[in-house]
Amino acid sequence: MLQNIFFGLSLGAVYSLIAVGFALVFNILKFSNFSHGGVMSFTAYAGYYAYIRLFDGHVSSSWMFFAVVTTAAVIGALTAVAIERVGFRRLRRNQAPVIYYFISSITLGILLENIITIFASSNFYSYPVFFSSDNLSLLGTTFSVADVVTLLVSSASLAGLLLVLYRSKLGLAVRTVSFDVNTASLMGIDADRVVMATFAMSGALGGISGVFLGMNYSLYPQLGQLVVKGFIASVIGGLGSITGAVIGALLLGIVEVALIGMVGSGWMPACVFVIMLVFLLVRPRGISGVIVQEKA
Amino acid sequence: MDYIYSILTLTGITMIGVMGTYMVTGLTGQFSFGQAAFMAVGGYVSAMLALRFNLPFPLAAIAGSAAAMLAGLLVGVPTVRLRRDYISLVTFGFGEAIISVLNNSAQLTGGAEGLVNIPKRVDLPLVLGSVIGCLLLVACYKNSKYGRQCLALRSDELAARSMGIDVNRLKLVTFLFASAITGYAGVLYAFYAQYLEPGYFNWTVSAEWLIIVFVGGINSLTGAMVSALILSSLPELLRFASAWRIIIYCVIVLIIINYRPNGIFGDWEISRLWKKSAKGEKA
Repeated sequence: MLQNIFFGLSLGAVYSLIAVGFALVFNILKFSNFSHGGVMSFTAYAGYYAYIRLFDGHVSSSWMFFAVVTTAAVIGALTAVAIERVGFRRLRRNQAPVIYYFISSITLGILLENIITIFASSNFYSYPVFFSSDNLSLLGTTFSVADVVTLLVSSASLAGLLLVLYRSKLGLAVRTVSFDVNTASLMGIDADRVVMATFAMSGALGGISGVFLGMNYSLYPQLGQLVVKGFIASVIGGLGSITGAVIGALLLGIVEVALIGMVGSGWMPACVFVIMLVFLLVRPRGISGVIVQEKA
Repeated sequence: MDYIYSILTLTGITMIGVMGTYMVTGLTGQFSFGQAAFMAVGGYVSAMLALRFNLPFPLAAIAGSAAAMLAGLLVGVPTVRLRRDYISLVTFGFGEAIISVLNNSAQLTGGAEGLVNIPKRVDLPLVLGSVIGCLLLVACYKNSKYGRQCLALRSDELAARSMGIDVNRLKLVTFLFASAITGYAGVLYAFYAQYLEPGYFNWTVSAEWLIIVFVGGINSLTGAMVSALILSSLPELLRFASAWRIIIYCVIVLIIINYRPNGIFGDWEISRLWKKSAKGEKA
């Protein structure tokens, strides 16, 4: 039981990285950024190739995981910034309606996925094993090392993000722009740079979650479609709210693990759908909806 | 010749599916990521009725479209009141849920191996006739009171509401209509391909339809149809470049969104040709 909850938490932690990366962009540009999925699969592959080509044999095995995660995060940030440049910069200049951002992001996601398919084939690769399959035992239950590390690294990256958002000048600028772009630019904030920085942060989170997804599942071009989990989580949490996204993601992780135990992994998506539908009927604004409402 | 027939037939079926997407996206401005799932509902229901109960094709077709409409009701009622993002999410989740149900009820649906031995009842003339019929229906809907209200609602929901338009009901009606049409596309597909598998109705199919609508121009039914014709038949003819075709698709879409945001056709409709000439004769 405790073990299952823990497993759900660690799954939820990965989801929360996705959901927060998603919510960051939603906060600023007010659209659901589906290109995030493309960034996730791209970085998962980047981490894999960095491991095969560069690190294997050069980096000591205890640091290997961190080397791969850092590479993936950096590449994710760069990819996301490139995506913003190609897909959204011009749209923002034209003050295009939100639906265009939406289509642009879907297109970019599909584009990245297919570029990967062409250059790395659609085969499944197994991700390098960073941690021994030993278990830690604590309080009479056993936890796998990989799950513990997942939970720790995700929490650390989220804490880092919150620190940047709420304790730095850049974070203040991001929050200002997310409140009102025009007023922010009148106050001398360079909106282009802030949007770029937001995409970089979201991309870095996407990179980290990409590596975790690669470790949990295996590596294949459609890996990024798990971005849906982040989407579901951030809707449950209340669109655009970062704390809400984290709570929604942890809940989703636990519910999924519980459902797999009860009805099996085949029926799980159907049950999640029903739960989500009921949730939207009962509380359409999401868990943290009240706060978002007050802001508007 | 058979090959060209089959391409034309499949293109026609895609065009009907795109009509559904056009109604949801072009008219009410919602995004459905699960439109292909309604196609799955229509196809599976009609095929199973025909296989297990020997229902004749016309009845099975009606039942299939009705089932898709029912599914549309299930998805639509909770979501029309909410922000646009939610309907994308719910339709998406619905698509995933349908695929998981189809995969897991193997005794009924054949599961991942697919549903086989569906009788062949659909040929090119029927598909062409259906395309024309559906097109007429959708065009009339677009020009009717409801269609105009939809356009008002898409540009500004609050303004439409204050003009006395029952926004939620309108969205729901359009969504149901679109689901029924998409379901009918599924029926045609099932009785043409004689084989159904859940993987065919993935969300990427829905996304592809959305892209088609956008390339043609979100305001133009003509544009949607022309781009469906080109984008879905061209890749079949250029099979050798199949790996690159989606990439080419995406690049085209990005260019169009950035440089011609109203799509190739803007809001031009082919019916303007004869409307203009009719006016000319009067004058």
